[in-house]
Amino acid sequence: MSAKREVIPLPVRAPDTASGSGPPASMVVRGGDFLFVSGLTAADLQSGERMLGTTANETRQILINLKQLLDAAGSSLDKVVKVNVLLRSMLEEPNMNEVYARFFPDQPPARTVCGARLPDGVKVIVECTALA
Amino acid sequence: MTEKLQRSVIEPENPLLNASRNSNLPHVPGIRIGDYIFLSGMVPVDPQTGERSHGPIAEQVRVTLSNMRHMLESAGSSLERVVRVHVVLADISHMAEMDRVYREFFPVDPPARTAWSMQLRFGNGCEIECVALAG
Repeated sequence: MSAKREVIPLPVRAPDTASGSGPPASMVVRGGDFLFVSGLTAADLQSGERMLGTTANETRQILINLKQLLDAAGSSLDKVVKVNVLLRSMLEEPNMNEVYARFFPDQPPARTVCGARLPDGVKVIVECTALA
Repeated sequence: MTEKLQRSVIEPENPLLNASRNSNLPHVPGIRIGDYIFLSGMVPVDPQTGERSHGPIAEQVRVTLSNMRHMLESAGSSLERVVRVHVVLADISHMAEMDRVYREFFPVDPPARTAWSMQLRFGNGCEIECVALAG
Protein backbone atom coordinates (compact mmCIF):
# COMPACT_ATOMS: atom_id res chain seq x y z
CA MET A 1 0.00 0.00 0.00
CA SER A 2 1.38 3.36 -0.95
CA ALA A 3 1.81 6.17 1.56
CA LYS A 4 -0.95 8.73 1.83
CA ARG A 5 -0.57 12.29 0.58
CA GLU A 6 -2.85 14.98 1.98
CA VAL A 7 -2.88 18.75 1.85
CA ILE A 8 -3.71 19.67 5.43
CA PRO A 9 -6.83 21.83 5.72
CA LEU A 10 -5.96 24.80 7.93
CA PRO A 11 -8.10 27.32 9.81
CA VAL A 12 -6.11 30.15 8.30
CA ARG A 13 -6.12 32.16 5.14
CA ALA A 14 -4.36 29.71 2.84
CA PRO A 15 -2.87 30.97 -0.39
CA ASP A 16 -5.47 30.93 -3.12
CA THR A 17 -3.86 28.63 -5.62
CA ALA A 18 -6.80 28.39 -7.98
CA SER A 19 -7.11 32.07 -8.82
CA GLY A 20 -3.38 32.50 -9.11
CA SER A 21 -3.30 35.25 -6.50
CA GLY A 22 -1.12 33.52 -3.91
CA PRO A 23 2.01 31.44 -4.23
CA PRO A 24 1.34 28.06 -5.87
CA ALA A 25 2.13 26.14 -2.70
CA SER A 26 0.26 24.42 0.09
CA MET A 27 1.37 25.50 3.55
CA VAL A 28 1.38 22.02 5.06
CA VAL A 29 1.38 18.73 3.18
CA ARG A 30 1.32 15.34 4.80
CA GLY A 31 3.22 12.56 3.13
CA GLY A 32 3.23 9.26 4.99
CA ASP A 33 4.42 9.86 8.56
CA PHE A 34 5.80 13.33 7.89
CA LEU A 35 4.46 16.85 7.53
CA PHE A 36 6.20 19.10 5.04
CA VAL A 37 5.79 22.80 5.78
CA SER A 38 6.39 25.41 3.08
CA GLY A 39 8.94 28.14 3.57
CA LEU A 40 7.09 30.62 5.79
CA THR A 41 7.55 34.37 5.74
CA ALA A 42 6.38 36.80 8.41
CA ALA A 43 2.66 37.36 7.92
CA ASP A 44 -0.63 37.60 9.76
CA LEU A 45 -2.16 34.15 9.28
CA GLN A 46 -5.71 35.50 9.46
CA SER A 47 -5.43 38.38 7.01
CA GLY A 48 -2.47 37.16 4.99
CA GLU A 49 -0.86 40.61 5.40
CA ARG A 50 2.91 40.70 5.42
CA MET A 51 4.56 41.67 8.71
CA LEU A 52 7.99 42.79 7.64
CA GLY A 53 10.33 44.00 10.35
CA THR A 54 13.65 43.20 11.92
CA THR A 55 15.14 39.74 11.54
CA ALA A 56 14.21 39.04 15.18
CA ASN A 57 10.62 40.18 14.73
CA GLU A 58 10.13 38.30 11.48
CA THR A 59 11.59 35.17 13.08
CA ARG A 60 9.22 35.50 16.04
CA GLN A 61 6.16 35.95 13.82
CA ILE A 62 7.13 33.02 11.60
CA LEU A 63 7.64 30.68 14.55
CA ILE A 64 4.36 31.77 16.17
CA ASN A 65 2.68 30.90 12.87
CA LEU A 66 4.60 27.66 12.53
CA LYS A 67 3.46 26.60 15.99
CA GLN A 68 -0.15 27.39 15.07
CA LEU A 69 0.06 25.54 11.75
CA LEU A 70 1.64 22.45 13.28
CA ASP A 71 -0.87 22.40 16.15
CA ALA A 72 -3.73 22.71 13.66
CA ALA A 73 -2.27 19.81 11.69
CA GLY A 74 -2.15 17.64 14.81
CA SER A 75 1.59 17.95 15.23
CA SER A 76 3.66 20.38 17.33
CA LEU A 77 6.97 22.20 17.54
CA ASP A 78 8.49 19.38 19.57
CA LYS A 79 7.79 16.97 16.71
CA VAL A 80 9.86 18.99 14.24
CA VAL A 81 12.80 16.98 12.95
CA LYS A 82 14.49 19.35 10.50
CA VAL A 83 14.44 23.09 9.95
CA ASN A 84 15.92 25.15 7.15
CA VAL A 85 16.32 28.86 7.82
CA LEU A 86 17.11 31.28 5.02
CA LEU A 87 18.37 34.74 5.97
CA ARG A 88 18.86 37.77 3.79
CA SER A 89 21.95 38.56 5.84
CA MET A 90 24.02 36.04 7.76
CA LEU A 91 25.16 38.94 9.95
CA GLU A 92 21.68 38.70 11.46
CA GLU A 93 22.08 35.07 12.49
CA PRO A 94 22.59 35.81 16.22
CA ASN A 95 19.38 37.86 16.25
CA MET A 96 17.48 34.99 14.64
CA ASN A 97 19.03 32.45 17.03
CA GLU A 98 18.08 34.38 20.14
CA VAL A 99 14.39 34.28 19.20
CA TYR A 100 14.57 30.79 17.71
CA ALA A 101 15.99 29.27 20.90
CA ARG A 102 12.94 30.37 22.89
CA PHE A 103 10.67 28.30 20.62
CA PHE A 104 12.84 25.19 20.85
CA PRO A 105 14.08 25.24 24.46
CA ASP A 106 14.68 21.51 24.80
CA GLN A 107 16.25 19.11 22.30
CA PRO A 108 15.77 21.37 19.28
CA PRO A 109 15.49 19.87 15.78
CA ALA A 110 18.31 19.47 13.27
CA ARG A 111 18.77 22.76 11.42
CA THR A 112 20.58 24.45 8.56
CA VAL A 113 20.94 28.21 8.17
CA CYS A 114 21.89 29.76 4.87
CA GLY A 115 22.23 33.28 3.53
CA ALA A 116 20.35 33.84 0.27
CA ARG A 117 18.48 36.37 -1.80
CA LEU A 118 14.87 36.22 -0.68
CA PRO A 119 11.70 37.35 -2.47
CA ASP A 120 9.38 40.25 -1.59
CA GLY A 121 11.76 42.10 0.73
CA VAL A 122 11.58 39.51 3.49
CA LYS A 123 14.57 38.95 5.78
CA VAL A 124 13.71 35.45 6.97
CA ILE A 125 12.20 32.24 5.57
CA VAL A 126 11.72 29.15 7.72
CA GLU A 127 10.61 25.74 6.48
CA CYS A 128 10.47 22.46 8.31
CA THR A 129 9.74 18.76 8.26
CA ALA A 130 7.89 17.35 11.26
CA LEU A 131 6.42 14.08 12.39
CA ALA A 132 2.72 13.96 11.60
CA MET B 1 9.27 -2.98 15.44
CA THR B 2 10.94 -1.22 12.52
CA GLU B 3 11.51 -3.00 9.25
CA LYS B 4 14.72 -2.20 7.46
CA LEU B 5 13.95 0.34 4.75
CA GLN B 6 14.79 -0.54 1.17
CA ARG B 7 17.07 1.98 -0.56
CA SER B 8 17.37 2.04 -4.34
CA VAL B 9 18.64 4.38 -7.05
CA ILE B 10 16.18 6.16 -9.33
CA GLU B 11 17.13 6.82 -12.93
CA PRO B 12 15.23 8.44 -15.82
CA GLU B 13 14.06 6.21 -18.68
CA ASN B 14 15.57 8.80 -21.03
CA PRO B 15 19.35 8.36 -20.51
CA LEU B 16 19.98 11.88 -21.85
CA LEU B 17 18.35 13.18 -18.66
CA ASN B 18 20.74 11.30 -16.38
CA ALA B 19 22.62 14.55 -15.79
CA SER B 20 24.74 13.30 -12.92
CA ARG B 21 26.04 10.32 -14.88
CA ASN B 22 26.47 12.26 -18.12
CA SER B 23 28.45 14.96 -16.32
CA ASN B 24 30.31 12.44 -14.16
CA LEU B 25 29.06 14.01 -10.94
CA PRO B 26 29.26 12.17 -7.61
CA HIS B 27 25.54 11.78 -7.09
CA VAL B 28 22.58 9.93 -8.57
CA PRO B 29 19.38 11.43 -10.04
CA GLY B 30 17.34 10.21 -7.12
CA ILE B 31 16.97 7.76 -4.29
CA ARG B 32 13.97 5.83 -3.19
CA ILE B 33 13.92 4.99 0.49
CA GLY B 34 10.85 3.27 1.87
CA ASP B 35 7.81 5.29 0.80
CA TYR B 36 9.84 8.34 -0.22
CA ILE B 37 11.65 9.53 -3.29
CA PHE B 38 14.36 12.17 -2.98
CA LEU B 39 15.41 13.74 -6.28
CA SER B 40 18.66 15.61 -6.81
CA GLY B 41 18.48 19.22 -7.87
CA MET B 42 17.43 19.29 -11.53
CA VAL B 43 18.51 21.91 -14.03
CA PRO B 44 17.21 22.70 -17.52
CA VAL B 45 18.36 19.94 -19.87
CA ASP B 46 16.95 19.44 -23.36
CA PRO B 47 15.46 15.92 -23.34
CA GLN B 48 16.19 15.55 -27.08
CA THR B 49 19.90 16.39 -26.93
CA GLY B 50 20.96 16.15 -23.30
CA GLU B 51 22.46 19.64 -23.63
CA ARG B 52 21.82 22.54 -21.29
CA SER B 53 18.70 24.41 -22.29
CA HIS B 54 19.24 28.09 -21.55
CA GLY B 55 16.31 29.97 -23.03
CA PRO B 56 14.11 32.48 -21.22
CA ILE B 57 13.46 31.62 -17.56
CA ALA B 58 9.90 30.46 -18.29
CA GLU B 59 11.26 27.92 -20.76
CA GLN B 60 14.00 26.83 -18.32
CA VAL B 61 11.45 26.22 -15.56
CA ARG B 62 9.14 24.41 -17.98
CA VAL B 63 11.80 22.02 -19.25
CA THR B 64 13.10 21.39 -15.71
CA LEU B 65 9.65 20.53 -14.33
CA SER B 66 8.85 18.49 -17.41
CA ASN B 67 12.05 16.50 -16.83
CA MET B 68 11.12 16.17 -13.16
CA ARG B 69 7.79 14.66 -14.21
CA HIS B 70 9.70 12.21 -16.42
CA MET B 71 12.04 11.32 -13.57
CA LEU B 72 9.19 10.67 -11.14
CA GLU B 73 7.19 8.69 -13.69
CA SER B 74 10.27 6.61 -14.46
CA ALA B 75 10.17 5.65 -10.78
CA GLY B 76 6.44 4.88 -10.80
CA SER B 77 5.54 8.13 -9.04
CA SER B 78 4.18 11.42 -10.44
CA LEU B 79 4.03 15.17 -9.90
CA GLU B 80 0.76 14.62 -8.01
CA ARG B 81 2.74 12.64 -5.41
CA VAL B 82 5.24 15.43 -4.69
CA VAL B 83 5.13 16.68 -1.11
CA ARG B 84 7.99 19.19 -0.97
CA VAL B 85 9.77 21.33 -3.58
CA HIS B 86 12.79 23.59 -3.42
CA VAL B 87 13.08 26.10 -6.24
CA VAL B 88 16.36 27.97 -6.54
CA LEU B 89 16.67 30.79 -9.05
CA ALA B 90 19.83 32.49 -10.20
CA ASP B 91 17.93 35.78 -10.40
CA ILE B 92 15.40 36.68 -7.70
CA SER B 93 13.56 38.95 -10.16
CA HIS B 94 12.43 35.81 -12.03
CA MET B 95 10.21 34.70 -9.15
CA ALA B 96 6.87 35.79 -10.66
CA GLU B 97 7.68 34.31 -14.05
CA MET B 98 8.76 31.05 -12.40
CA ASP B 99 5.49 30.98 -10.40
CA ARG B 100 3.46 31.42 -13.57
CA VAL B 101 4.96 28.31 -15.19
CA TYR B 102 5.17 26.35 -11.94
CA ARG B 103 1.41 26.73 -11.50
CA GLU B 104 0.81 24.87 -14.78
CA PHE B 105 2.54 21.79 -13.35
CA PHE B 106 0.85 21.87 -9.93
CA PRO B 107 -2.67 23.19 -10.62
CA VAL B 108 -4.40 21.66 -7.58
CA ASP B 109 -3.26 20.82 -4.05
CA PRO B 110 0.34 21.86 -4.80
CA PRO B 111 3.21 20.57 -2.66
CA ALA B 112 4.84 22.52 0.15
CA ARG B 113 7.43 24.78 -1.41
CA THR B 114 10.29 27.11 -0.62
CA ALA B 115 11.75 29.37 -3.30
CA TRP B 116 14.80 31.60 -3.09
CA SER B 117 17.80 32.76 -5.07
CA MET B 118 21.45 31.72 -4.90
CA GLN B 119 24.40 31.32 -7.23
CA LEU B 120 23.88 28.38 -9.59
CA ARG B 121 26.45 26.52 -11.64
CA PHE B 122 26.97 26.56 -15.42
CA GLY B 123 24.77 29.61 -15.97
CA ASN B 124 21.58 27.72 -15.15
CA GLY B 125 18.64 30.00 -14.43
CA CYS B 126 16.93 27.56 -12.09
CA GLU B 127 17.53 24.40 -10.10
CA ILE B 128 14.60 22.45 -8.66
CA GLU B 129 14.57 19.49 -6.28
CA CYS B 130 11.74 17.59 -4.67
CA VAL B 131 10.61 14.93 -2.25
CA ALA B 132 7.76 12.73 -3.46
CA LEU B 133 5.88 9.70 -2.30
CA ALA B 134 6.63 6.51 -4.16
CA GLY B 135 3.93 4.78 -6.17
